[in-house]
Amino acid sequence: MVSALQNILRFIFLILIQVFLLDNIQFMGYINPMIYILFILLLPVRFPRWALLISAFAMGLIIDVFSNTAGMHTFALVFAAFLRAPVINIFTSIDEGSNPTPSFHTFGVSPFIKYVITIVLLHHITLFLIESFSFLNLSLIIPKILISSAITILLILAIQSFKSK
Amino acid sequence: MIRYSVVFLFIALEIISLILISNNKGYQRSVMLSSGNAMVGRMYEMTNSFVEFFKLSEANDNLANENTQLRNRVVELENKLSTLTDTLNSVSWKNVSVSPEKEYSYITAKVIRNTTHLSQNYITLNKGSNEGITPDMGVVGEEGVVGIVKSVSPKFSVVIPILNPKILISSKFKKNDYSGPLVWNGKDARFASLNDIARHVRFSLGDTLITSGLTKTFPEGIMIGTINDYNIKESDAYYNIQVKLAVNFRTLTHVKIINYKNYREQSVLEQTAADEGKKK
Repeated sequence: MVSALQNILRFIFLILIQVFLLDNIQFMGYINPMIYILFILLLPVRFPRWALLISAFAMGLIIDVFSNTAGMHTFALVFAAFLRAPVINIFTSIDEGSNPTPSFHTFGVSPFIKYVITIVLLHHITLFLIESFSFLNLSLIIPKILISSAITILLILAIQSFKSK
Repeated sequence: MIRYSVVFLFIALEIISLILISNNKGYQRSVMLSSGNAMVGRMYEMTNSFVEFFKLSEANDNLANENTQLRNRVVELENKLSTLTDTLNSVSWKNVSVSPEKEYSYITAKVIRNTTHLSQNYITLNKGSNEGITPDMGVVGEEGVVGIVKSVSPKFSVVIPILNPKILISSKFKKNDYSGPLVWNGKDARFASLNDIARHVRFSLGDTLITSGLTKTFPEGIMIGTINDYNIKESDAYYNIQVKLAVNFRTLTHVKIINYKNYREQSVLEQTAADEGKKK
């Protein structure tokens, strides 16, 4: 029950931070970190997959409404949410019966970092490819994906390392 | 079975997203899912009043400058007018009228949402159809062309700025009237590229680019930018021109929307002519 409330608050909080703070900060001209993906990353491991997809869809839609990108964030976030379970299975070995919340502590430092990097990259690559459909320019997109992902990953890991103490 | 239903749900959600994206490609789109939406608009207005505080002094300087320029212009025109009325007799003076393509007025609005770092940028304004704004109206800042109104709700409107490859601005050289479409290349908020300028056209760095007046959106002669760089390959027929935009989109706070009075009349006439052409 406490965890459900925590997740709802995190959902709202991350959207507010993303839309009103991060979307207004433009590192080096065109890079903006996408912290909202942290919501998907931190849901309990055994959170029902259908509910995970629906919440990813809801979150993506809200972000899209605020940033005038109808559907792009939704597509990327649902995609990342769908691949979350396989990614967790690749990097960790969690007992059938247990239902931990992903963190440095429950996953171990190295698996957790790998997990965050993989999901963030999947999300950013999908998002920037979709965004660039109208004019494909790889020399522009690849640095954009790499730098944005790096900043998002660093932010997420920094937030998580503060929490575990 | 449960495994598969998750896959189906995933596919269904992704298809919905794709439909949303593809609907967004058109010129018009639902105001519901954009920052023209009333609730979203109001929230941006709130945060913007906060951010605007920091831009006030700059906006003030710009307004003061524009004010002086306008005063000078008024004095100049008044002087001309008085000399003219002296020479002309009062009867013929009353018959003087403005040519129809110049009958327009301005509506001022405040920018409450603006991006410059995406590959497709949009601007949200705090005025909408209640104030008489309709889609396809031109939007200008103090320095020059900003963009075109895309969709409106009663209280807000969304503008596609030059910084969005979805629009072309019909532009021409001030000095020799050669025209071409201006389009953004998606990289830098300070520059755009000018296309379709043929090899034989003579121009040089620093030349001024203004609106062509060939569309109903902008009257002729509004500043767009200056030529910053150009090159042409041996095999090409057209120049590759980089234009430095007059407007600084990073600090945009107030804009004016151009309300062209004869828009309807002109479009109806053009439409009828085009339809008749198709029938024959």
